[in-house]
Amino acid sequence: MSNHLSDPLAHAEVQQARVGRYFVAFFSSSILMLLAFVVSQQQKLSYVQFAEALGALLLFTLISQAALFFGLNLSREQIWKSVSLALVVPLFIVTIGFTVVVFASLYARTMIPTDAMSMQPTLLQ
Amino acid sequence: MLVNLQGPWSPLIGRLSLASIPYDNPILVTTFIIVALLGAVIVAAVLYYRKLPYLWREWITTVDHKKIGVMYIILGLVMLFRGFADGALIRTQQVMADGPDSTGVLGATHGFIPPFHFDQIYSAHGTLMLIFAATPLVAGLGNLIVPLQIGARDMAFPYLNATSFWLTASGAALVMISLFVGEFSSAAWVGLMPFSELPFNPGVGVDYWMWAIQISSIATTFNAINIIATIVKMRAPGMTWFRLPVFCWATLSTNIIGLTAFPILTVALTLLGADRYLGTHFFTVGMGGNFMLYVNLFWLWGHPEVYFLMLPAFGIFSEIIPTFSEKPLFGYLAMVGATFAIAGIGWVVWAHHFFTMGMGPGLNGYFSAATMLVGIPTGVKSFNWLFTMYRGRLTFATPMLWALCGLVLLLIGGLTGMMLAIPVINYTVHDSVFVVAHFHCMVLVIGAALFAAVTYWWPKVFGFKLDERNGQYFFWTFVIASLVLFGGMFALGFMGETRRLDYLYDPSWKPLLILEEAGIFLYFVSIYYFFKMLYVSLRDQVPAEADAWGTSRTLEWLTHTPVPFYNFAVTPQIHALDELAWRRSHGLEKAQPEQYVPIHLPNNTAIPVIIGALSFAFGFGLIWRIWWLAGFALLGMIVAVIIRSFDPNKGYILSAEDIAKMESNTGSASVIAEQPVRLPLSEVEAH
Amino acid sequence: MATNIAAGADTRLWNAEADEHDPISARTFGFWLYLLSDALIFAGLFASYAVLDNSFNAAGGPIAAQIVHPLEGLIQTFAVLGSVLSYSLATVAMKKGSRTGVIHGILGAIVLSGVFLGIGAHDLLGLIAQGDGPDRSGFLSIFFTLIVSHGLHMVFGILWMLVMLVQVARTGFNQDVVGRLLNLRLFWQFQASVWVCVYVYVYLLGGYN
Repeated sequence: MSNHLSDPLAHAEVQQARVGRYFVAFFSSSILMLLAFVVSQQQKLSYVQFAEALGALLLFTLISQAALFFGLNLSREQIWKSVSLALVVPLFIVTIGFTVVVFASLYARTMIPTDAMSMQPTLLQ
Repeated sequence: MLVNLQGPWSPLIGRLSLASIPYDNPILVTTFIIVALLGAVIVAAVLYYRKLPYLWREWITTVDHKKIGVMYIILGLVMLFRGFADGALIRTQQVMADGPDSTGVLGATHGFIPPFHFDQIYSAHGTLMLIFAATPLVAGLGNLIVPLQIGARDMAFPYLNATSFWLTASGAALVMISLFVGEFSSAAWVGLMPFSELPFNPGVGVDYWMWAIQISSIATTFNAINIIATIVKMRAPGMTWFRLPVFCWATLSTNIIGLTAFPILTVALTLLGADRYLGTHFFTVGMGGNFMLYVNLFWLWGHPEVYFLMLPAFGIFSEIIPTFSEKPLFGYLAMVGATFAIAGIGWVVWAHHFFTMGMGPGLNGYFSAATMLVGIPTGVKSFNWLFTMYRGRLTFATPMLWALCGLVLLLIGGLTGMMLAIPVINYTVHDSVFVVAHFHCMVLVIGAALFAAVTYWWPKVFGFKLDERNGQYFFWTFVIASLVLFGGMFALGFMGETRRLDYLYDPSWKPLLILEEAGIFLYFVSIYYFFKMLYVSLRDQVPAEADAWGTSRTLEWLTHTPVPFYNFAVTPQIHALDELAWRRSHGLEKAQPEQYVPIHLPNNTAIPVIIGALSFAFGFGLIWRIWWLAGFALLGMIVAVIIRSFDPNKGYILSAEDIAKMESNTGSASVIAEQPVRLPLSEVEAH
Repeated sequence: MATNIAAGADTRLWNAEADEHDPISARTFGFWLYLLSDALIFAGLFASYAVLDNSFNAAGGPIAAQIVHPLEGLIQTFAVLGSVLSYSLATVAMKKGSRTGVIHGILGAIVLSGVFLGIGAHDLLGLIAQGDGPDRSGFLSIFFTLIVSHGLHMVFGILWMLVMLVQVARTGFNQDVVGRLLNLRLFWQFQASVWVCVYVYVYLLGGYN
């Protein structure tokens, strides 16, 4: 085990908390989500464009949360969190993206066509 | 009820009834009698020698990574035997039921096992071998060796470590009890879909399988967190990343797989559980279910899982081959790179388990190419091992024999894997025993590595070596049995034998089936030698040196033999890769610290075993739909965790004088020695 | 390099000071690794949603556009972000050593998450009442499971917050309590990130027509 810190409150992760950063995080996430909502209510874009716009807004939101709420950066205290997150992000893309690709033509190949097939737009074209 | 359950159900005991106990099945009754007798003998021995307090204090409530590692390995070996018993039953049934006109005994139309029972046997065989034998053995070795190899005192989270073990044991207990209370899954170790849905499998079998795996996979994820944090944060001073032993690199990449892939299994099983318990339609036939989704999720986990088991095996070879060639590992950086390449590639190839689904030729082509790509880093590793041996001074001790056998099996298994990666071939042999033979070759590589590791590190933990002569008899009978059995199986695969048949429909397969049965017989002989090896070793207990094999290169051999419970009296300073070899080359390997300092160690705790027992009750309650039991068990687990969080658990201090005494009498601090009670620190003393 | 074992030789073989490692960092790193595995659980759920979110899997029942309420979801989003802000401010109070500040921040977080869960539960119960529960179709199964999984994370987080209220009041800021408060911050911020993904993917993208 270890020696204990003289004062746990002096630890870098406690000290990294900042009022300003948190308020900025709250407002930036809220505004980006409001924007996404407005875009969704407009109904001007095609499905693909809509998905791309939402994806971009979501990405910005997540990045701003990572930097502002979590406080991730490349400093010595945060480096391992940042590195491990960066290594795992491709796995999200693989899990969700590859699954979509794998299933994309499945129904067309294996199911008897019905009217239901064209009822709603979906990521699996 | 949210779902339509067949059979009786009462609020008090759920679906349990006297009919759940298979007292009319002669095989099970015999098994029960044997198990009960064995259990009674063990309990009687423990009580007669008054070892219960010792067991409770030193083993059941321990948080010491070495003891937990040993318990994992014992669990794994016991499950290995049970899994082997199931395998022997499969082989014997198939050789007896060798044609559509073959006769049957014991109530079976063909052979001696009725089809429904046979399905449970091969499902249990797969589940036990992969989840409850191989995984605990791999986890146990990682637990045991990694902190020693990096010069740490324990894992990063000892309490979590103990909890992981007891959760795994609870999962194993669920599988074991399914033998005598209820039934096990008949839907194969993968959970064939939609066969494992409630309408097709209305009994409790699939539920047993599901909860056993779910509980133990959570334990595996926790263990992964522990090992990764340990390797990242707790290396001894001077142990930079590129001085880390290859086994630790392998364990690190393995547990990154464990951390990232096992959650997908949790999802797959949870969704199946929702279907079976809540009436949802994830994988049902109709009502919008898509059972290929289950297959996709399962193999998203399933392929990384096999690399989860394989990479530590490679790491073990990378430790053993240099030791017994008296040369450093050839191409350290390439080995590390290859390990991570294998892990990375292993994550993106899972659909080769269902080429026949109908993804289309483009995707089949991608997955085929990606799968074959893994041969490159594996080839790098194989050649590096060979280059390590080239011009080395080879000693063919038992661990080295196992390692070399592993390399041969890797070649056979790997080449047949390359064949299977080609969709055209795959379409022809999918679900035939050719696939079974291929993956058995691969798991035998893992098995060889595990036997090598147990033999290699045994003296470090227990202070004496395993008997060489009987070890070699065990090795040779095991290897010949494997080659005989699975060589025959490859041929049968080409002849068209499909998997999971409770009777064979082509009598012309009989000669090869007899050959396979000869392999089983040889396995029994090898088990005899295994036990004889243990007996002779325990009887003679020839004491071993700190560096038991004389030519080891890594840090764990610097501790005393048997290793004391505090690992190193003073944390070593690291100067090079293969620190022990560096010290030996400078004549420093026998140096001891001049001054001892007090060591702060964690206390034992009963919370992990309580959580394990409660998880068993939780699983059992859910399996039998005994809602009150499941509810109280879940509540109990949450309460136990919260109560533990209020415990100041400051650990205890091992004084410098105590350490000096134990250093001069090393047996007194070993893993099996009994320690006096050391009082926990008060809040004041801890500062 | 020293070649003999002598006191005072210039090669240092043992390092007694090395036992000091930083338990709080180890703890938060371990918890971070757990959060990564939790994120992959959600990745599996999102992948399942991607597969089941189409008309075939709606089995004649409603599709996403017919059951999602983006505006209510937006209010829920503000609630959960506010809850995260409140808890994060609690950790600012911890930085200053103020127990009352921490307790107030946690209470604010609990109240706002209660608002979130209330709206969500009302939504889902309404669907069940009209016969479109998770047992209606494959699509509805994953719809409910994804949202309820996130909700369960919040419930466990609230339970954790209640325990921390007791521990902060009783024990103050010792190493264990500080470590747990830091981990809870990570957890709470994490579930907000997950919610944002759920909102965009299920409520907004699903609501396309």
